[in-house]
Amino acid sequence: MLISLSHIQRLYRSDEVETTALLDIELGIEAGEFVAIMGPSGCGKSTLLNILGTIDRPTGGSYSFGGQELTELGEAALAAFRRENLGYVFQSFNLIDELTIEENIELALIYRRMPKAERRRRVAHAMDHVGIAHRARHYPSQLSGGQQQRAAIARAIVGEPRLILADEPTGNLDTENGAQVMDILQRLNDEGATIVMVTHSPSHADLAKRRVDMLDGQVVISVRNAI
Amino acid sequence: MLMTIVRGVLRQARRHPVYVGLDLLGLALGIGVFLSLALLVRYEYSFNAGLPGVGRLVRVDEHWTPAGVVPLEEADATFHALPFLRQDFPEIEEALRLLGTTFRIERDGKFTRFDGYATDTSFFRVFGIGLSRGVADDALSRPDGLVLSEKAAMKAFGTLDVLGRRVELNRSGERSAHVVTGVMRPVRGPNLLANTEMVVPIPGEEERTRSCFQYWGSSCGEVILRLKKPEDIDAMRARMRDFVIRHASGAENDHVAIGPHPEKMYQLLLVPLRQTHFYDVNVEDSDDGVDRNVVNAIGLIGFLALVLACANTVNLATARAGLRAREVAVRKTLGATRRLLFVQFMGEALFVTTIAGVVGLVLCEILTPEIASLTGEAVTVSYGFVLAVLLVVIVLSGLASGFHPAAVLSGYRPAAVLAAARMPSGGRGAARLRNSLVAGQFAIAIAIIICTLVIDRQTAFMRNADRGYEKSGLLIGQQMRGSDPVLQRRLLDTLRSVPGVVAVGFGELEPAPHSLSHTIYQYAGPNGPVEIQMLFDRVGSGYFEVYRPRLLAGRWFDPMRGQDEGPDAGNLQDGTGSFNVVVNAKATVKLGFSTPGQAVGQVLTAGGLKARIIGVIDDVRFVSPRDPVGPEILFFDTLSRVPFVNPIPAVRFQGVTRAVMAERLNRAWTSVTPDLASNFQPADERMAAFFTGDERRGHIFTVGAVVALLIACMGLYSLAAFSAIRRVHEIGIRKTLGASGGQIAILLLRDFLRPVALACVLACPVAWVLMRSWLSGFDQRVSLSPLHFLIATAGAFLIATLTVLGQTFRVARAEPARALRAQ
Repeated sequence: MLISLSHIQRLYRSDEVETTALLDIELGIEAGEFVAIMGPSGCGKSTLLNILGTIDRPTGGSYSFGGQELTELGEAALAAFRRENLGYVFQSFNLIDELTIEENIELALIYRRMPKAERRRRVAHAMDHVGIAHRARHYPSQLSGGQQQRAAIARAIVGEPRLILADEPTGNLDTENGAQVMDILQRLNDEGATIVMVTHSPSHADLAKRRVDMLDGQVVISVRNAI
Repeated sequence: MLMTIVRGVLRQARRHPVYVGLDLLGLALGIGVFLSLALLVRYEYSFNAGLPGVGRLVRVDEHWTPAGVVPLEEADATFHALPFLRQDFPEIEEALRLLGTTFRIERDGKFTRFDGYATDTSFFRVFGIGLSRGVADDALSRPDGLVLSEKAAMKAFGTLDVLGRRVELNRSGERSAHVVTGVMRPVRGPNLLANTEMVVPIPGEEERTRSCFQYWGSSCGEVILRLKKPEDIDAMRARMRDFVIRHASGAENDHVAIGPHPEKMYQLLLVPLRQTHFYDVNVEDSDDGVDRNVVNAIGLIGFLALVLACANTVNLATARAGLRAREVAVRKTLGATRRLLFVQFMGEALFVTTIAGVVGLVLCEILTPEIASLTGEAVTVSYGFVLAVLLVVIVLSGLASGFHPAAVLSGYRPAAVLAAARMPSGGRGAARLRNSLVAGQFAIAIAIIICTLVIDRQTAFMRNADRGYEKSGLLIGQQMRGSDPVLQRRLLDTLRSVPGVVAVGFGELEPAPHSLSHTIYQYAGPNGPVEIQMLFDRVGSGYFEVYRPRLLAGRWFDPMRGQDEGPDAGNLQDGTGSFNVVVNAKATVKLGFSTPGQAVGQVLTAGGLKARIIGVIDDVRFVSPRDPVGPEILFFDTLSRVPFVNPIPAVRFQGVTRAVMAERLNRAWTSVTPDLASNFQPADERMAAFFTGDERRGHIFTVGAVVALLIACMGLYSLAAFSAIRRVHEIGIRKTLGASGGQIAILLLRDFLRPVALACVLACPVAWVLMRSWLSGFDQRVSLSPLHFLIATAGAFLIATLTVLGQTFRVARAEPARALRAQ
C-alpha cells in the first residue's frame, strides 16, 4: 500500500464556529492506481487532497505514505517529502506569472538542488511529454488555459514523483482541452504514475481506475471502474 | 465631493492603518525637515539683507598677489586709504572704519565681556541703524561716547534708560572712561552687526600710533562705503587699479607706500555687503564666511527629504491601488467617469498631504530650535515664510504624489477587474516603478550617509591631526598688549614659578593667530635668485621646550650665541644687520632645497638684512586646516636687547590637570597684569573656530542621513508589506513544490533587497565625486577610504534587512493550503 489514511479528521476552528471538513476518513491507495474523488461542493474533496499533498495537516488520525508516518513530521521534513514524492496539478493552474513556462517547470527541480544540465534535460522531456515545448519561453499570461494546464502537468511530472495530485484539473477548461488533459493523465497512469484526482465531472471520473465518492467530509463509496 | 474625499481617506485609514500611518508619517517628516532646513537656508541667504539700503553698502578688501605665494584676500583694508577714497570717488556718500574689538567691564574683580567696534561718527548713517535712546548723529561725536545695544544695556545695567551713565571700559588692558550716549535698536535678520554690543569712537591716540592708520598695506579693520547708487560699484571697480597706482606707489625706502609698482602685488576690491557671507569663506580676517556649497547642500538635503517622502507616497499609493481596484470597478459600473474618479483620488492625495503638512509644521517647530542649536545659527520659525512655503509644498507634494496613483486607479477597466480572481498589480511597469522609487530613496540615503561619514572623519581628523607641535600638556595665554620688556620679563618669571610649569616661552604667533606679518626674502640659489614671501615670527627662550616642534636639520636657537639674537624694530625697518634664523620645511621646498639639511648655513636677504639659516623645523600649523601652511621664518629674542611686540605666552606643564593648571596660570597672570583678562587655553580651543563650522554642518548631514534612511525604510517596509500580500499565493505554489521556509525567506530577502543593491551602485560614485570636491577645499585632509562606502552600504543593507525581516518570515511561514486559497 502506497498511501494509508486512518481515522483522518480535519476541523477548522474560528472564534465562534467549528467546522468539520473531514471526519474519520479511512482510505488506502496502491501504487499505480488512478483514483478519482467526487462529491458535491464543500464535501471535503480538496481538503482531503491537500492533506494527501501535505500542504494541510489533519487535526486527527494517521497518514502513512510508503510506510512512513507523515503526521509526525515537521515543516522542513514535509517540504523535503513534497520535493521528492509529489506532483501537484491545480484547477487554476497556479503558475507563477513572473516566470516563463520553462522556469515554472524547472522550479520543482531547483528546490531539489539538481544540477542545471540535468534540470534542463528533464524540463525539455516533460514539456515534450505534454506538447508545450514550443511555448517554453512564454509567460503564463501568453498561453491559453489548456496550454497552461499542460504546463502545470509538466511541472507536476518533471520530478518523476511517486504520486500526482490533481485538484479539478479540467475545471477551468473547455471540453476539448479537458479531454486532452485527461488523455495525458491516463497516459501517465499507464506509464506507472499513481494519480489522485478531484473532479466534478462523472465522465472524467469514469476514466480513472477507482472512484471515491464523498459527502459531508466522509467517504461514502469506493468502487473500481470497469475499464 | 469634499465629503467623499474625506470619507475615502478615513475608510482607507481604518482598513489599512499601517499603510496610511506610514504614508502620513513619512510625508510629515519630509515636510518638517524640508521646512526646518528651508528656514536655515533662508537665514544664511538673507545675511545682511536687513540692513537698510544694503545694496549700496560695500566693503573694501585688500588682495595680495606677491610673487612666490598663494594669492591672499583680506577683509581688512588700511584705514590710510579712506581719505583718498573719499577724495577720488564722488560716488561715495558715506564711509567708515570698523575696528573690531572686545570690551570688558570690571566689577568686583570679574570681567564682563562685550563685543563691538571702535568706529566713526557716520556708523549709524552708513548702516541705517536707529537709536531707541539718544541721537544717532551726536552719539559718537564726543571722544568718550558709548552706544550700547539694547541687549548690552540690559546686560550691563538691567535697564534701557542708561543715557548719561558713566562706565569704565577695559580694552585689552587699556582703561578708558565713557558716558553712555545712545542705545541702538537691533537690526532685523542676520547681519554683521548682530553681535555688536558696544560702539565707541576710534581713540585719537590709536589713530596717531597704529600703523594701519598710517601705512599702505597695513590693515587692522574694515573699511565700509555707502555709495550713492548700487550701480556705482562697477564704475568704481574700473578705476580702483589707477587709484592704487596713484596713492600707494612710492620709492623702495618709502615705508608709507607699497613700492614703485604696487598694482603688481596689491589690489583694493569692492565687495557688496549683501554678498560677504558666502564670499568670505576664502577671505582672511573675516568672521562670517560660510561655504555657499555647503548651504546649498543643506538645502538639497531638505529638498531630498521632501522628494523621498513624496516618492514614498507614490509608492504606497500605487501599491495600494490594486486593493482599491474593485471599488473603482464598482464605481465605474455605477456611472462614475474616469475624470470624476481622478479628481476624487487627487483630492484624497491633497487631503492626506494637508494633514501631513500640519503635522510637518509641528515637527518644524520641534526641529528648528534643535537645528539652531546644532548649527549655532539664530534660526527661528518665521510663520509668514513657513506658511507660504507650506502652502506651496502641500499643493506641489499633493499633486506630485497623487497624480500617478490617481491616473492608475481611475484607469482600471471594470470588466477586467471584476472578472479577475486576483487584484491587479499594475504589471511589470508598476513593479519596476515601485522598485525604482525604493532604489532612488536608498541611493539618496546611502549617498548622504557616506557624506556624513566622510565629513565626520574629516572634522575628527582636523581636530586630532598632527600640527607639527605637541598639543598635550600645552596651554596658550592671552596676547599681551605693547612692548614693555620689564612687564614681559616679570610675566615670564611669574609663570615659570607656578607649580607644575615645565617651560614658558613667548612667541608673536599662536594657534589661530591674531595677525600675520609677511616679508619677502631672496635667496641667491645655484639656479638663479629665488624670491619668496615668508611668515614672520619672533620666538623666545623656552619656546622650543613649550611647543616642541620637530627639528629636521641643523639646530635650534641658543641664548649663549650672540648671532642667534634677532633684529630689533630698527633693524627690520632699515633692513640692516645679520642674524641667525630657523625656517620651516615648506620654506626649504619653496627655496628649492631638496632636503632640509641643504638649507642649513644658507643666507637669505631682505634688503640689507641677512638671515642665516641655522635650523629647519617641520611645518607648524597655526592656521586653518583649509589653508596651506606657508614658508615661515623664525627670529630669536632673549628679551635681553629687544622686547616682543604683543607677545603670546605659552606654557608646558605636567603633573596637574589642564583645568587646575589654567586656573593657576590665570591667577598668576592677574597678579602681573590685573587690567587684562587672562584666558589660558589649550591649542584645540584656540583653533576651534576652524572646525566648529564644519562640525555643525556635519550635524545637519547626520540629521539628513537619519531622516533619509528613516523615510527610505518606510518605503521599503511598505513595499515589502505590499509585496508580501501579493506573493502569498506564489509562496503557496513554491511551498507545494517543496520549497522550505528558509529557501522562501532567502528568495524574498533577495527580492526585497535588490533595490537596495541598485541604490548602492548609484550612490557610491555620486558620493565619491561630491566628497572628493569637498575635501579638495582642505589643505590638511583625509583620503577617501573605501571603508566609508563599505560601512554605509553594509549599514543600509543591515537596516533594510531588519526592516523587511518581519514581513519575510511572516510570508515564509505561511501554510501552503491557506496561501493557495489566498487571492
